[in-house]
Amino acid sequence: MNNLIKNELTKIFKKKAIYILLLVTLAFMILSNCIYKYFYNDTTYSYYSDGYIEFVKEAINELEPDKPSDTKMYIEYKTVLDVDNMMKEYNKDAWQIQIIASTIQNYINERNTYLYGAQKDESQANKINEQINELSEKLKNDDWKYFANEELKTAEEKVKLLEEEKSSTDDKQRLESIDLEIAMAKIDLDVAKYRVDEDIKYGYDYMNTALENYKERSYMIEQIDNSKEELTYQEKKDYNDSIEQREISKYIIENHVDINKQNDLRGILSNFFNEFGLFIVVITVMIAGTIVSEEFNKGTIKLLLIKPYSRKKILLSKFITVLIMIVFSIVVILAMELIVGGIIFGFESLNIPVLQYNFNSNMLQEINVFSYLGIQIFTQLPSIILLATLSFALSTIFTNSPVAIALPLLGYMGVAVINQIAIQYNIGFLRYFVTLNWDFSQYLYGKMPLMEGLTPGFSGIICIIYFLIMIIPTFVIFKKKNIKNI
Amino acid sequence: MKELVLKCESLYKTFGKKQILKNISLELYEGDILGFIGPNGAGKTTTIKLILGLQGITKGKVLINGFDIEKEFEKAIRKVGAIVENPDLYMYLTGYENLKLIANLYKGIDKKRIEEVVKLVRLENRINDKVSKYSLGMRQRLGIAQAILHKPSLLILDEPTNGLDPEGIKEMRELLLDLAKNEKMAILISSHNLAELDNLVNKVCIIKNGEIIETSGISEIKKEEKANYKLFEIKDASRIKEILPGAIIINENKFKIDAVKEEVPEIIELLVNKKIPIYEVKKEEKSLEEAFFEKTGGNVIE
Repeated sequence: MNNLIKNELTKIFKKKAIYILLLVTLAFMILSNCIYKYFYNDTTYSYYSDGYIEFVKEAINELEPDKPSDTKMYIEYKTVLDVDNMMKEYNKDAWQIQIIASTIQNYINERNTYLYGAQKDESQANKINEQINELSEKLKNDDWKYFANEELKTAEEKVKLLEEEKSSTDDKQRLESIDLEIAMAKIDLDVAKYRVDEDIKYGYDYMNTALENYKERSYMIEQIDNSKEELTYQEKKDYNDSIEQREISKYIIENHVDINKQNDLRGILSNFFNEFGLFIVVITVMIAGTIVSEEFNKGTIKLLLIKPYSRKKILLSKFITVLIMIVFSIVVILAMELIVGGIIFGFESLNIPVLQYNFNSNMLQEINVFSYLGIQIFTQLPSIILLATLSFALSTIFTNSPVAIALPLLGYMGVAVINQIAIQYNIGFLRYFVTLNWDFSQYLYGKMPLMEGLTPGFSGIICIIYFLIMIIPTFVIFKKKNIKNI
Repeated sequence: MKELVLKCESLYKTFGKKQILKNISLELYEGDILGFIGPNGAGKTTTIKLILGLQGITKGKVLINGFDIEKEFEKAIRKVGAIVENPDLYMYLTGYENLKLIANLYKGIDKKRIEEVVKLVRLENRINDKVSKYSLGMRQRLGIAQAILHKPSLLILDEPTNGLDPEGIKEMRELLLDLAKNEKMAILISSHNLAELDNLVNKVCIIKNGEIIETSGISEIKKEEKANYKLFEIKDASRIKEILPGAIIINENKFKIDAVKEEVPEIIELLVNKKIPIYEVKKEEKSLEEAFFEKTGGNVIE
């Protein structure tokens, strides 16, 4: 047996195909790593596009501010132009842009309403204008903390007001909605506190993104907590996802670590199967799809079958070879990424852990990148083995390499679609379909599986049944096969 | 006493409703070289595949060194070497790598044995080239090398002279005779090239439409004649029919006539009386090829 396996490996490694595939993988890897490094830009942010500004400039000339039907539009366009003018003084990713877009835009809008609106009030407009100038001065002096403290003050006041209102009102309807409003206001207060306490300057970096995520996810959770409607399975799943994202955002804010960074070695590694899964599948399917059929097509199967080994042993040794090659391709592609990514990005990022929210202990879990990767590989292995087995079975039964390679690859690419349909329309019987079951990472950390009713045990049995359905006929047919004239 | 190496007991093979082989029985002893002859489609390769366990046997039994090929495959096939249809080789490997793969699958084949076999088939100079660069003749020789690497007691060769030049055929004939004599191998050769077998095989088995129609020693099959022709070479055979009405003219100097031994002096006397010079008189012996066509009734697939 060992010698049979050794021979099979010799045959694979003496062929050019495997080296060509590995080279293509390497080329893709270098390219994608370089793209991540040099072109990936998470701050490609522009508040108004140039085209829009051009359009507004033309449109405003056609409008007459005194005509009642035009007034509203005129004020809106004027505000856009004023805001844009103000933004032009700063870089596209400067912190000031964010303030202009939020706080100052409101002031400008108010001022323009007094200037051009139905009830003109020049003194009010001047008053607001002074405030705008004051704020503008602070922008110029890079005094972001002023805005942060203002935000905090406003949030505190809002909470206080709402709580006072709650204790004084008797209106039942009002009481019902006020709790949610208070909760929302408290979230705003949290965010404002975080900004001040953690010294987070406005802008568009990962800290602000985390802060923004934290706010949005918290809103979502608060809304769901307050609603009395029964959640569907997928809504519950989204709810859990929000909890995880909120906790991760919190971790980023408190630890000042860019956990979600995609464009470094750690980011690519923790996303290993999305990036390079296809290459692993292509290599293993190519080997599994040719290891038997090629011997039939070239006639060399006769050479093998008149050696003192039973057909069972010969086929088994070929299947074991396929399994070895799965491990080999994963290890090699991983090693290649480590080297390529290490050279392009450096290895420092590997010290940062991967975060997973554990729904069993309701705690955020820090996992070493390599442990995480190991778990990922282990939980993805069933899918790769099953695809390779399908290819192996087709290759043996039909002795036709193209079919044996193309079909599993098509299947692999169609998985997302099948799963999407099954989940979206909640088609229960698709639970028995293997693609929903073969990814065991869905059961990690107490997460909710893709579909209601899936359990690790159920998935394990489904995977084993599919495996046996493919492998048993393969062995039976191979054993009985008449070697026809070639 | 020579040992029985291969025994086929009334083999039958059907594919669906089509009967491919009917009642094929063969026996092959050590040191024997059996020529397995038949027209295309007669069932030669199918028989070989049944013997090697490459196809299931519908009815009957194959014993190799006493082991049943279907029931004790691994034991039965251990001492068998074969080329079926074409020499099956891995084109992307070198000749040596091909032999190494085979060597891995048997116990006790060391480097020395591989080199010995390479020398035997005269591939020393090209053994490290890729097989895809070999000529057909070289592939045929490498095929024989991989078949005899483990010193089998039964060697089965399907059309081994395909693609060999006359020199190569001569070499192979010597090699096979040597293997049969010194290694006591039993060899089964199927071939269309009857002239080749003429000086090689000591037994012949003729198969037609899936049935064996003749098995005998090589000397017997050649001697067995329907008519007892005597061949005459004379000065001018063109008008011989006037003297001997039963004569068959072969060319202007030769004719043959159906006559027993005792009639020959009478014919000679007749010719001498007519003053016709006689150069040679001999018994007509058939070549294997002629005997073959006589038995099979030409190369017809039915």
